[in-house]
Amino acid sequence: MRIAVVGKGGTGKSVISGTLARVLARRGHKVLAMDVDTMPGLAFSLGLANQTGGILPEEMAEKQEKKGWKLKKGTRINTLVSKYSQVAADGVRYLQLGKLPDKLKPGSTMAFWYVLQRFKRNGWDMFADLAAGTRQPFSGWANSAEMLLLVIEPSAKSVLSVRRLAKLAQWPKRKRKKIPPEPPQVMLVANKLRSQDDLVLIQQGTKDLDLPIVAEIPFDSELAVGEQLGKALLDHRPNAAAVRTIEKLANFLVEKTSNGLVQNKGESK
Amino acid sequence: MKIAVVGKGGSGKTTTSGTTARLLARKGKRVIALDCDSNPNLGLSIGLSVAETDRLVSLRQRLDEEDAEHAPSAHEILERFGTLAPDGIQMAVVSRIDQYDPG
Repeated sequence: MRIAVVGKGGTGKSVISGTLARVLARRGHKVLAMDVDTMPGLAFSLGLANQTGGILPEEMAEKQEKKGWKLKKGTRINTLVSKYSQVAADGVRYLQLGKLPDKLKPGSTMAFWYVLQRFKRNGWDMFADLAAGTRQPFSGWANSAEMLLLVIEPSAKSVLSVRRLAKLAQWPKRKRKKIPPEPPQVMLVANKLRSQDDLVLIQQGTKDLDLPIVAEIPFDSELAVGEQLGKALLDHRPNAAAVRTIEKLANFLVEKTSNGLVQNKGESK
Repeated sequence: MKIAVVGKGGSGKTTTSGTTARLLARKGKRVIALDCDSNPNLGLSIGLSVAETDRLVSLRQRLDEEDAEHAPSAHEILERFGTLAPDGIQMAVVSRIDQYDPG
């Protein structure tokens, strides 16, 4: 599966993507969690303190015939993933592609992403935690996902943001690359719900968008404590109702996306 | 004074900017509030309604639609494309992404 998580800042994109990644990894999935935010925060949810990132440009080759980058001849994608990712909690592989060290040019890292898109069947479940706002997600990253999770919390600002993001996701004249051929499925993930009224607010505010709400994650004040400590939800509150809901969401994703298979039968090429 | 407000998503940039702008306006300052976020929500914190906030069209877009040859002055731009917000604040959205591939 290739999932991109978008939403207004602070709605819980990183916590949700990080927790989903770990839940699937615990079930034996090969999971690659990518932080594509220029302000990376996913590492915390994966139990990592270090957030170094980027793919060195010399790993990629500039195309001769046209603009852009490609994978150097003889380089295997799995090799690069192993080399540049960090092993995070539960064996999740973490790649930081958002904020790059000064010496790295974004071109090669962006190109790596495009290369990654082609490895649809190499057995990885991929999660991309995208930048807040609307500018960056749709200038490339969100479009290669097979499913787009729009995280929404019960606030007027978040509802307005999701309405904009949903519109962008449906934009008909997108210059889509051939891969993947299908536009992403767009789903809503409601987070920080304190009451039924909160859910109603979200339902009312998004009614005409006609997007399914695939998870209703309850508000948990303990989550804020975990955030203060920089601890992952799964480590700080493994039995929280929010975790149960995200586990159910993981089931749903396995059901609704391709490659939702446990990959233990050796490396595929 | 010219103040820029930055920070992590959800930490309160918009609420801080909107409230500070209004408090200064109430003290008699002439305040211009610019929303420079590609996902502009400042209107809500400054006291505009959801519908009004959603209606704000970005300056960039308006200027693109207008004849570039006759690009007006900064003041004129605000007069023409800005919105009057509570407490006399002049508010405008700088750039909003409505299309997948904006020029």
